[in-house]
Amino acid sequence: MDIQSYIASGKLELFLLGDLNESESEEVLTLAGKYPEIQKELDSLEEKMLAFDQKTGPVPSSKMKEKIFASLEDEFKAAETSKVRSSEAKVVSLSPWKLFAAAASIVAVLASAAAIFYGTKYYEKDRQFTALLLEQSVMADNLNQVKLEHEQKDVLVEKLVAGDFRRVQLKVGGLEIQKDAEVDVFWDQSAQEVFVAVNNLNELSGEYDYQLWAIGSKGPIGIGLVNSGQKLTLQQMQSVSDAGVFAITIEPKGGSQSPTLDKLVVIGDVT
Amino acid sequence: MALCFIFIGDTTTKSLLQEEQLIAGLRAKDRKTTEYLYEKYSRALYAVISRIIFDQDIAEEVFHDSFIKITRKIDSYEESKGRLYTWMANICRNSAIDKTRSKELSQSAKTNTIDDFVYGLESQSGTMDHVDGIGVKELMNQLNDDQKFIIEYIYFKGYTHSEVSEEFDIPLGTVKSRVRAAIQALKKNLDRI
Repeated sequence: MDIQSYIASGKLELFLLGDLNESESEEVLTLAGKYPEIQKELDSLEEKMLAFDQKTGPVPSSKMKEKIFASLEDEFKAAETSKVRSSEAKVVSLSPWKLFAAAASIVAVLASAAAIFYGTKYYEKDRQFTALLLEQSVMADNLNQVKLEHEQKDVLVEKLVAGDFRRVQLKVGGLEIQKDAEVDVFWDQSAQEVFVAVNNLNELSGEYDYQLWAIGSKGPIGIGLVNSGQKLTLQQMQSVSDAGVFAITIEPKGGSQSPTLDKLVVIGDVT
Repeated sequence: MALCFIFIGDTTTKSLLQEEQLIAGLRAKDRKTTEYLYEKYSRALYAVISRIIFDQDIAEEVFHDSFIKITRKIDSYEESKGRLYTWMANICRNSAIDKTRSKELSQSAKTNTIDDFVYGLESQSGTMDHVDGIGVKELMNQLNDDQKFIIEYIYFKGYTHSEVSEEFDIPLGTVKSRVRAAIQALKKNLDRI
């Protein structure tokens, strides 16, 4: 089974949104149990959706909490009294003889005092513990995030080391739209992989994107949009096997089918 | 609450243990655990509702009912069918969608868009974190039109993927892959903000 294309199908996202029927949901769960990659993707999506929800909404008002807990009050009380009752029942069964009544009452007083003392302490510790739990879970989330980023970087480095990458320097063409523009393309022809590192590109207004072109025997082919904001990091582009020249043009947002040649920013030959 | 919390190096094991405790506490109707649940998840769950229901009073009412439903239905939650948050978020999402489809809400109240949402966030001064509201706007602006459309209908208006497919005549497979592309794009943007 092709795990990657299953992940790419979008089913996992719909599963998390509760938008799959019973049998489709079963299928996702079975496959996640069988293939750790699917489980991992599911976990990561779940974390992101939670992070998105945490970050995007307004904070519910403090009245909200009071109202909800007032509605739940009866249920808490019922649970608490049922606990107390079961412990009372034990005390009664332990003191059937009058002879021990006096001793028992002294023990009871001492026990109550101890209970109050430890109860207060427990309450205090419990509060600290709840706060620690919360803090710890935030840290665990952060750590997971860092781990994930680290893994992604690892994969990238491995690719660069193992691959046969050629560096193609793109420099300003004859038009001199941006005099100091400079971009490096790294191309592994046999693996057909292309990465771009922006050394210097001006920010564009919202209606435009930089688009990378591979020009080979079949003419220019658009192989993705270049993010000018991510300087000196590697951006993976679409794969290409045939190219004599790489070039970047400014295109309307989302890119074009063919390059706008009078908006050519940088160009470089594969040598 | 169990104080014998086991500290193991592996973070996933840790958060799972924590989730188990949380569920056990909720099933025992423990007040502290319920408070912890509220502190940890109320903002996210409220976000799920308030992006579908724009009216603050109605959103709060749905949130109140959903949270109570969560604490009462916790016995029917099955750990094997996904994590707690996803289960809770779906309860909230479904309650919100049910509400928008009920007679109570007029047709006009249903047309909640990303712009309304962002505008709503920005205008409710004092009740929200402004920085985050601007973050949402940026998150959305970086999506392309297809992705924005999908997020708007599925995330904000609560459509199912088959409804989007039927109503706008987009093949089901395309809707699915756009949902994925849009969430991937959001994921990426989220990391940057």
